[in-house]
Amino acid sequence: MENEVLRMQNITKIYSNGFVANKDVTFGVEKGEIHALVGENGAGKTTLMKILFGMERNEEGSILINGEEIHITSPLDSIAKGVGMVHQHFMLVPSLTVAENVVLGVEPMSGGLFDFDEAVKETQRIADKYNFDVDAKLPVRDLSVGQMQKVEILKALIKGAKILIMDEPTAVLTPQETRELFEQLQILKEDGHSIIFISHKLEEVMEICDRVTVLRHGRCLGTYDIKDMTETKISRLMVGRDVVLKMDKPQHDRGEVVLELDKVVKINSIGKRVLNGLSLQVRKGEIVGIAGVEGNGQSELASAICGLDAHSAGLIKINDVDIAGKPIKDIRELGLAVISEDRMVDGVAADRSIRENIISDRFDKPEFKKGIFMNNKYINQVVDECIQEFEIACDDRDQPVRMLSGGNIQKVVVAREFTSGRNVVLACQPTRGIDVGTAEMIRKYIIKMTREKNAAVLLISADLNEVLECSDRLLVMRAGKIVGAFNSAKDVTEDTLGEYMLGIRTMSDEELEAAL
Amino acid sequence: MKEARKIEALFEVLRIVASLAIAYVIALLVLFFVSDEPLFVIQQFVLGPFSSPRRIGSIINLAVPFVLCGLGMCFIYSVGKLNMMGDGIFMLSGCIVTFVGLRIGGLGLPAPLVWLILMLVGGLVGVMCIYLPAWLDVKLGVSVIVVSILANTILSELSQYILQFQMRDPSASYLASFPLDPSVSLPKFLPSSLKLQSGILVAAALYLLSVVLLHKTTLGYKMRMVGANAKMARAAGMSVASTIIIAQLIGGFLAGVGGAMEIMSNYTRFLWTDTTGHGFDGLMVAVLAKKDPKYVPITALLLAYIRIGSDVVNSSSSIPNEFVSVIQCIIILLVAAEMFLTKQRNKLICKAAEANLKQEQQKQPA
Amino acid sequence: MYTWFIDFLFSVIKLSTPIVFATLACDISRKAGVYNMSTEGNMLISALASVVIAGHFNSVWAGLLGGVLTGVLMAAIIGYAHLIGKTNMYLTGLAFNTAATGGTVFVMFMLCGEKTSTNAAIRSYTIPQLNIPFIRDIPVLGKILSGHYLLTYIAALSIFLVWFMLKRTRLGLRMRSIAENPQAAESVGVSVVKVRYISFLISGFLAGLGGAYMSMAYVSFFSRGMVAGRGWIGVSAMNMANGNPIGSSIAALFFGFTDTLSVSLQAFNIPIQFVNMIPYVATILALIIMNILRIRHEKAAEKARLMSVMEKEAASLEK
Repeated sequence: MENEVLRMQNITKIYSNGFVANKDVTFGVEKGEIHALVGENGAGKTTLMKILFGMERNEEGSILINGEEIHITSPLDSIAKGVGMVHQHFMLVPSLTVAENVVLGVEPMSGGLFDFDEAVKETQRIADKYNFDVDAKLPVRDLSVGQMQKVEILKALIKGAKILIMDEPTAVLTPQETRELFEQLQILKEDGHSIIFISHKLEEVMEICDRVTVLRHGRCLGTYDIKDMTETKISRLMVGRDVVLKMDKPQHDRGEVVLELDKVVKINSIGKRVLNGLSLQVRKGEIVGIAGVEGNGQSELASAICGLDAHSAGLIKINDVDIAGKPIKDIRELGLAVISEDRMVDGVAADRSIRENIISDRFDKPEFKKGIFMNNKYINQVVDECIQEFEIACDDRDQPVRMLSGGNIQKVVVAREFTSGRNVVLACQPTRGIDVGTAEMIRKYIIKMTREKNAAVLLISADLNEVLECSDRLLVMRAGKIVGAFNSAKDVTEDTLGEYMLGIRTMSDEELEAAL
Repeated sequence: MKEARKIEALFEVLRIVASLAIAYVIALLVLFFVSDEPLFVIQQFVLGPFSSPRRIGSIINLAVPFVLCGLGMCFIYSVGKLNMMGDGIFMLSGCIVTFVGLRIGGLGLPAPLVWLILMLVGGLVGVMCIYLPAWLDVKLGVSVIVVSILANTILSELSQYILQFQMRDPSASYLASFPLDPSVSLPKFLPSSLKLQSGILVAAALYLLSVVLLHKTTLGYKMRMVGANAKMARAAGMSVASTIIIAQLIGGFLAGVGGAMEIMSNYTRFLWTDTTGHGFDGLMVAVLAKKDPKYVPITALLLAYIRIGSDVVNSSSSIPNEFVSVIQCIIILLVAAEMFLTKQRNKLICKAAEANLKQEQQKQPA
Repeated sequence: MYTWFIDFLFSVIKLSTPIVFATLACDISRKAGVYNMSTEGNMLISALASVVIAGHFNSVWAGLLGGVLTGVLMAAIIGYAHLIGKTNMYLTGLAFNTAATGGTVFVMFMLCGEKTSTNAAIRSYTIPQLNIPFIRDIPVLGKILSGHYLLTYIAALSIFLVWFMLKRTRLGLRMRSIAENPQAAESVGVSVVKVRYISFLISGFLAGLGGAYMSMAYVSFFSRGMVAGRGWIGVSAMNMANGNPIGSSIAALFFGFTDTLSVSLQAFNIPIQFVNMIPYVATILALIIMNILRIRHEKAAEKARLMSVMEKEAASLEK
């Protein structure tokens, strides 16, 4: 314990919308160790680290560095105390050189001017010390992702960081780059730095970490020595369900295929294959859930299906029609209803009323029009029915959506999409960030859509409870592909699921085919 | 929750009123300091516009082009674009309308037909001119504001060319077109003391049409949704690009009709050698009206009142009326400043929420 | 023909000077991540301030200083509205420019009793012209480059200074980082608002120089609306090179060239109005061409990226 450089004691963080991100979390890091912080999406890892780095304030609890209680109000305070953070999304300026990025904020000066040569020297000195192979004079935009990450680490080191937070550092790296990173982390560790390593990749945690702390649903499940653990043990701790959701789901027959993806490929703007030959089918009357650690191509999959961002290769068919090259309106007319991932961006126009948001996909249908005019009488009737049926808590239909609670905003989206009469539903993170009651309601609606209206639902969710309980069939997505398939979601345990999600197991193509 | 809505609405009005008040006080202070007889000048500025029926009439007449350009800017601004072509369009439309008016006036066509033709000509000029920056913006991403402002100069030069080389009256002692046939001019109606122009009826009709268009039709609905959240509109399957262009075309049409009516109401010849600034006046009217055509007549009258006030000051003292443009700038800045009175509003909303909570808590034990 | 050509190039430099100042003023804001739309009005106000202050103190230098300080002061006001009051920059620029047009006429009238120009009422001062030794003796080039107003040389120097400032000073480094990735700068303790405010002030300084040039060198009096869109042309030049001071100054020179062209064509029997349009038409055309090229370039890059990924994969499959 005398070696402890950081202690976060009984940290509680409640967001202003009432969401409890951390509850009574206690977490300590020793000098010269690599400490893994693991947990599912939304388990509170990032929030905890944001508190440590001064980007969020905790309601309760204290932070001690080298045994001394400190008060952190901004990243500057943390930097001053020797904490550095390598963000998952790099905080780099692409057109500046490596050296300039590294010294930004602590620029060396000579004669009133920025001393570029000194910056290069300093950067090179630190890079050499820790065996980082980067050219300080190159612009960052010409670097590979792995090298960019090194720059991020150098940025922290040059400011004197002794405690380094690495937020999913290997998520963007190739295996070779990961090797290199691990070697460097070892050097840093031997030099007396402490590293907090956030990751979903358990084999990596097993490989380089000394201890592991597991978070689940904002609570700390304890800290363990890696030598006492196995991947499976950690995965069981992480992926457990605190409250087992039970959804009442009547048996139902599946109909023909209405949503079909065949070897869909999407190459993103930096040339990465975010969808890597993904195939799946959804039939009438069933819910197909996609589980997976976030950032494995789920968002891109959704964008490709609804036509927001066209896929690079492969085939997507909705009700047997290829959507390639079709405008969004036509794709929707083929029968696609969408609950989009970020409701405030793609789901609603926040400043406009409930009424205007609900009719946004159908305002030009004949029954909603009278010539060039809107048929207000009919519209009001439809909207009021929606408000009633979906129990949207509001003053009246003319209230701006932004004044509603998150759950009610989502109900507006759900009301629109589920009353549109379309038979293929793409539901992305349908209950993210909303209260338990509303979430349950929305899940019931999703089930009802398939059971009563015979719709096909593709449910993409980072919430394991949700995919396990709502889905009929279950797929696991990893690295832009389906890596696991289960014909009956009921029979899958969270342990097995976790192993597929975290890359401990993968099904071959034959296995996948056989499973369905 | 209802209270929050009320407070927001209240503050929207309050912000505009406060902006106007602050700007007005600044105007008075300026007048106070630059004038030899400050009290008289201030009295002229504030009360002058109401001092005779004639002046009240001129407020209303002056408001007519403001209403048209303001309505136009409401459409343009409602899709989130700041296309400032209104200025050039107003001038070119006035010019072309004169050009056409010189040819069809006195042909013996029934006067209402002439009026209708000329207004349509003006509107058409507006539609054609505004299409260029709107299209360039949507298709190529060329800044609509920069292109429209540069293009204003081109339209202005074009008007001057037409004036000088195509319809200049050599017998006039100044640069002006041939005089228009009286049948082209819109009649004054109510030949009472107010001297109201009949253009007001056209403005009223276009006002009603605009309100209906933006609030009651599917097209107007699309414009408002695109303006509020273009991404969501796209995801819902709306054609964002064409909606943005159509809104600007309507804006151009209205500014064009405004230019036509200005010539037909107030001039017997075309003699503008520079733009009239109606594009920016339209923007001010639209900003004050919060992009809602419904409130345009009020804000247009307000602007006209300030303008007439400055004209009165100008004619009764040595103070030029240009100081009004500074006042307009201050009003716009204050209305546009997100932070202006925002703290106060949030405090009030918080308080209301807390009070609500307390009430609920008190109810619960009972 | 020879002397005409020399005169023409001389004029190009003369007429480019205010556009270069306007362009640099826009560049410096752009490089801090702000599209500054207020240069037009700021130049106009500074132009008037220069004349008035020079007349008042009977000194051209007082006028120059006054013009520049006015530019900085105006930029401070705009900066406050935009950065602290959070007004939309486009709206702010439009309102400010309109206020400048009217406000200058108002002030001019209050001071001179004239609404069109200060020519009659205020004694005019002109910034001295410089005949640079050595350079003036170079054949041809000497006649083009020597004998300009002092501010022209300052403009040329400013291109270099702005470039140097952006490239070599701490402020420049921080500005560039903020323009590209404000979060990155904020995460290492660089205040975005502060740096942007400073960039506004420098931008105002340059606009002030441009204004002073208009009324104390280009002509030696103030007349209403005399900046005549040069501020907007500066925005366009900035746009074309994405705020790079060297590239956008070349664009500014091109616009100066079109300006000169329109002046020289006035001698011919072409309607003056069409001649007057040339700079504006040229600017719009240049923006269009630039954007078409940009879009083509992006499309080609996208295609190349896809192809290279596909090829690599095809190659690895063969293995």
